[in-house]
Amino acid sequence: MSHRLRLGDALALALVAVVLVVLIGPIALLTAFSFNDSTIISLPFEGFTLDWYKMALEDQGVRDSLRYSVIVAAIVAPSCVVLGTAAAWGITRFRFRGRGFWAGLLGAVLVVPWLVIGVSGLVFFVYLDVELSLKTIILMHIAVTFPLVTALVSARLVRFERSQEEAAIDLGASQWQLMTRIVLPQLTPALAASLIFAFAWSFNNFEISFFNGGYEETFPVWVFSDLRRSYNLPIVNAIATLVSAVQVLAVYGLYLLIKWLGKRRGSGDELTSLVAGGRV
Amino acid sequence: MSIVADPLVPSGPEAEATTRARRSRAGEGGRRWLPAVYLTAPMLVLIVLFLIPMLILFLISIGLGIANQDNVWTFDHYTELFHDPLYWHVAKTTVIIATSAMVAQLVVGVPLAYVMAFKAGKWELPMVLGLVVLDGLNPVVRIYAWRILLGRNGIINGSLEWAGIIDKPIDALLFNNFAVIVVLSTSWITYTVIPIYASMKAIDANLFQAAADLGAGWWTIMRRILLPLSAPGIFVAILLVYIPLFTDFATPTMVGGTSGYMLGQAVQDLILTRGDLAGGAALSFVLLIASGVVAAVAYRLSRISRLES
Repeated sequence: MSHRLRLGDALALALVAVVLVVLIGPIALLTAFSFNDSTIISLPFEGFTLDWYKMALEDQGVRDSLRYSVIVAAIVAPSCVVLGTAAAWGITRFRFRGRGFWAGLLGAVLVVPWLVIGVSGLVFFVYLDVELSLKTIILMHIAVTFPLVTALVSARLVRFERSQEEAAIDLGASQWQLMTRIVLPQLTPALAASLIFAFAWSFNNFEISFFNGGYEETFPVWVFSDLRRSYNLPIVNAIATLVSAVQVLAVYGLYLLIKWLGKRRGSGDELTSLVAGGRV
Repeated sequence: MSIVADPLVPSGPEAEATTRARRSRAGEGGRRWLPAVYLTAPMLVLIVLFLIPMLILFLISIGLGIANQDNVWTFDHYTELFHDPLYWHVAKTTVIIATSAMVAQLVVGVPLAYVMAFKAGKWELPMVLGLVVLDGLNPVVRIYAWRILLGRNGIINGSLEWAGIIDKPIDALLFNNFAVIVVLSTSWITYTVIPIYASMKAIDANLFQAAADLGAGWWTIMRRILLPLSAPGIFVAILLVYIPLFTDFATPTMVGGTSGYMLGQAVQDLILTRGDLAGGAALSFVLLIASGVVAAVAYRLSRISRLES
């Protein structure tokens, strides 16, 4: 028995090791070679340099694409938190005619491929004769992202301790008071997570931006198009590393924030439990 | 994409509590217009930016709308697709690649979720967090990293040449279906593992001990306890991952070869390269219906397996 257990542990360890290498390896190498003082991305290491970073940050294409992506995400994320939370509250707390239909529609947005939504957005804007721009990207990002916030927030709402809500209503609290004093404070960790994730989902979105964008290329579209301009690959390495580092820090910061909020409120909310539907 | 396990459908005792609370509070005595306060704006967004575009997509695919003065509808764009052997071939390739990637992710993801849920101990949270962090990275950047690693002038080829092991670059590393399957699998692994992991966390670990005490072997325990009880999570994973797998076009474009041309690329080429809006709309609509079928089957299976467990 103990022998078999040890074999099982060894297999588990091997599995985790392989998964780690396959998942992190390429990004780690990308990072390593972004500091290599050579235009060719391969061994040998020709020495350490930060030149690619300097060039990347001075590159007009990089700067524009990052600026566009940040503008889009900065508008999309808060809009999605508001829309998504309102939808989550409406769907989980009320019974009304057509509730099943609307819940199903929200779910449908989650399973319809972004490719199809992107194409439908494109034909929609062409049909209406609307010129594609950052605005059309923002509109479509909001449409595909807020149902994800709804999913995140409603997973939290169905696990709520209802006594406070019910007491507030029994004591004659208005909807406004119920929201601002009871519900939203308890939802803070989920809302913080939604805001960061919605920002990331919008920032990372490629399909929708690709089909609904005009001349302004967002960052993922710029990286994708840059395949055709393969002469400045070291620059792409550098900026990809930089963006990835910021994204890792953002998620880790969110993890710490939610942990801190949970400790302060004694609710024990964890980022990991938020994403896994509370079963963790 | 969300990594929430079974997002909009509360389950088990939670669902009962929800229903009860809803009945006692908002439903009967509540003001009837109240849901509209919360739902009007989100639903308007869904109608204007999701339902209406889908409707227009359909209208254009049957030849109505843009650049059609006669206003005669036709299924020609669909029949053209179905009569073109090229699209059947592309569809076959797409199904093979997407299914391989899904199977590969389940083969890795189910044991990984098991290790996380029951074996990892203090490493459990870092592993979950790691998967979440990984998913926060830009997908195009992650595909790009593979290209830099495996490409013709990539790290592996360049390094092997430098070391004198090979004379000219090995092309077989990239631009083949295997590369597409590997890269797709790594792109989506978070959405495969997290729902399975979440459903495994709900399993009482004492069951394994009880089964072992009653003489069940390792394989029996896995087959009769672990798999049936984590089945809902597995079907949620398929629901979340399989559909995007067979509509992906960034991955095959960046790391795939000509023989691995996929349906997503066909849509992109029809619309953006050939300017055939109606053909692209028709193919998109076929993909939409296929996704609907996959979603319905996976959803049904996840409900059924939940009832049984």
